[in-house]
Amino acid sequence: MSSKINHHQKINGQNFPQPCPHLADFRARHGSKPFRAIQECLRVKPPGGRAAIRRDPSEVPRCGACGDASRPRLYACMACAAVSCHAPPHSSHVAMHATSTCNPPGHEIAVDVDRAELFCCACRDQVYDCDFDAAVVLAHTTSIIQSSKPENLRKRRRIDYRPWSPDLRERALMVSNASPIDSSSATNGDLPRGLRGLNNLGNTCFMNSVLQALFHTPPLRNYFLSDRHNRYYCQSKNGVKMCLACDMDAMFSAVFSGDRTPYSPAKFLHSWWQHAANLASYEQQDAHEFFISMLDGIHEKVEKDQRKPRNQGNGDCCIAHRVFSGILRSDVMCMACGFTSTTYDPCVDFSLDLEPNQGGSTKTASTKSNHSCNGEADSMNSSQNYGTSTLMGCLDRFTRAERLGSDQKFFCQQCQVRQESLKQMSIRKLPLVSCFHIKRFEHSSVRKMSRKVDRYLQFPFSLDMAPYLSSSILRGRFGNRIFPFDGAESDALNEPSSEFELFAVVTHTGKLDAGHYVTYLRLSNQWYKCDDAWITQVNESIVRAAQGYMMFYVQKMFYYRASERQVTS
Amino acid sequence: MSYKRSSINRPPTPDVDKDRENQEPTLQEIINIKMIETGEKERLKELLREKLIECGWRDEMKALCRAYTRKKGKNNVTVDDLVHVITPKGRASIPDSVKAELLQRIRSFLASTAT
Repeated sequence: MSSKINHHQKINGQNFPQPCPHLADFRARHGSKPFRAIQECLRVKPPGGRAAIRRDPSEVPRCGACGDASRPRLYACMACAAVSCHAPPHSSHVAMHATSTCNPPGHEIAVDVDRAELFCCACRDQVYDCDFDAAVVLAHTTSIIQSSKPENLRKRRRIDYRPWSPDLRERALMVSNASPIDSSSATNGDLPRGLRGLNNLGNTCFMNSVLQALFHTPPLRNYFLSDRHNRYYCQSKNGVKMCLACDMDAMFSAVFSGDRTPYSPAKFLHSWWQHAANLASYEQQDAHEFFISMLDGIHEKVEKDQRKPRNQGNGDCCIAHRVFSGILRSDVMCMACGFTSTTYDPCVDFSLDLEPNQGGSTKTASTKSNHSCNGEADSMNSSQNYGTSTLMGCLDRFTRAERLGSDQKFFCQQCQVRQESLKQMSIRKLPLVSCFHIKRFEHSSVRKMSRKVDRYLQFPFSLDMAPYLSSSILRGRFGNRIFPFDGAESDALNEPSSEFELFAVVTHTGKLDAGHYVTYLRLSNQWYKCDDAWITQVNESIVRAAQGYMMFYVQKMFYYRASERQVTS
Repeated sequence: MSYKRSSINRPPTPDVDKDRENQEPTLQEIINIKMIETGEKERLKELLREKLIECGWRDEMKALCRAYTRKKGKNNVTVDDLVHVITPKGRASIPDSVKAELLQRIRSFLASTAT
């Protein structure tokens, strides 16, 4: 046990230092028992609040030396439970206690009674111990951690990357079975391959805009262009019937063929109408609704074909879910007893509320600077754009603890009645491609009408999702602890990074009932505007100023910046 | 310590005189205990925490701590060093509106318990 704490530990993505000699000595002397024993003194009050150390709930801790109860830093000795104050450079009774000749050595480690954090009086520094932190986390809740335990044990092994190039036999096969694209057509114009306008088939800009984004979703594009779903094969195997993936395959072939004349996705539209009969009309539709419905369509088909129980969030499902689905974690804590119920739900996108208009309040400023990692937007506007909504602000709201008041009480399993509770969302697993849907269409049940919110939303070109992961959210709740929150240990292995790059923005202009969708695509760091049949190169300032409705971000390792050019040419 | 500023060295509340230990507790102590017993202290702390996050004070302190740690090298900084260096700046930069709000809350608490 003691050898375990001697390595440099990496938990929750953070490096924890080795224990100081005094802590190591303390552990050698007493083992982990004192840390477990402290569990009885840990009080979390009110539920969801901070952990504190009290021998009995009503104890008012005071310094044993000066009798003061109002000192900001009061520590209880881990060896003898004596409480002392610490107010350097004025006085430190806790340091006196540790060095006092009346005590045998070994009284250096103390615990902050109001923060439940360990302190070494000799080093004058905070120290970390995994058994102590486990006790603190356990005091916060018993249910959260256990629910996710089984998953932690399953560690997937990574497969090393090996570059592939066709051998002679494969080369011959490729030549005999493929019709190579005429290279002269590809060099026609400077546009990267795959940029082809889509004809409007009668109010179908909602479809065109989403399709343009999907054509340039790197993992999706690679899947179809590498023939992983072959329409001829699929049809010969399953007979000719509606298959959205087959139509996607056909569209990918057409769009990447090098032909620049606008393409009409009529066959796909027909298939989608069959899939979503309630949306089959020449009326305007919601692009987001279309997106969800078509991913569903691709998924359903695979489900029917393979008849295997599929776990959507785990990434071993159809191509739509392998690319877009993540797992959301939702914790609901009862405000009466502190019992927390945790649920995990798969999702294919993140629907975010726009922040309410803040008109210069300081709130956005503080949330923005929370994420110095998302520096791009951060440095630009922390001073000038007070009150501008940002995507990070929306994500902050999305993952913020929310009090469910008396009108929406939640059934608590432990109390067996409906109680007021605290709800918090976080992201358990990030998808390869994150689609953020901004709720711009508002339905007011009071006025019985809907309206569109035209407010500007700022979005960064590079986004770090780390602050919204379950491990970060839980760390925020329990403090800086040596404890693998929510399988963070295994996540570190499976998830290479939380960094994302923007590659497509679907924008909406106009009113609720009549408007137009346009997509901006970012290819090799150059922006292109896809407005139905017309494709034009645009400046990034136009994209930054656009009214984003759906933003598509891909994990950074899948975003090709400069190399893409070389591949296509 | 040559670097003396009243704000660092000022204890949050005056020290209890050693010889008064056996006497009645001071008014300040009574208030403190009353606030702990009723849970008001915990609520006030939570309110203060919220206000300080909202006004950006916490981020400011975080940035100061980071800058100091970077300057000194991360292995040469202890919590005590940070508390010592940051406390005077922290006390000085709390917005007056936050202080006023907290004072108002404490006043109304006292008024409600005094009756």
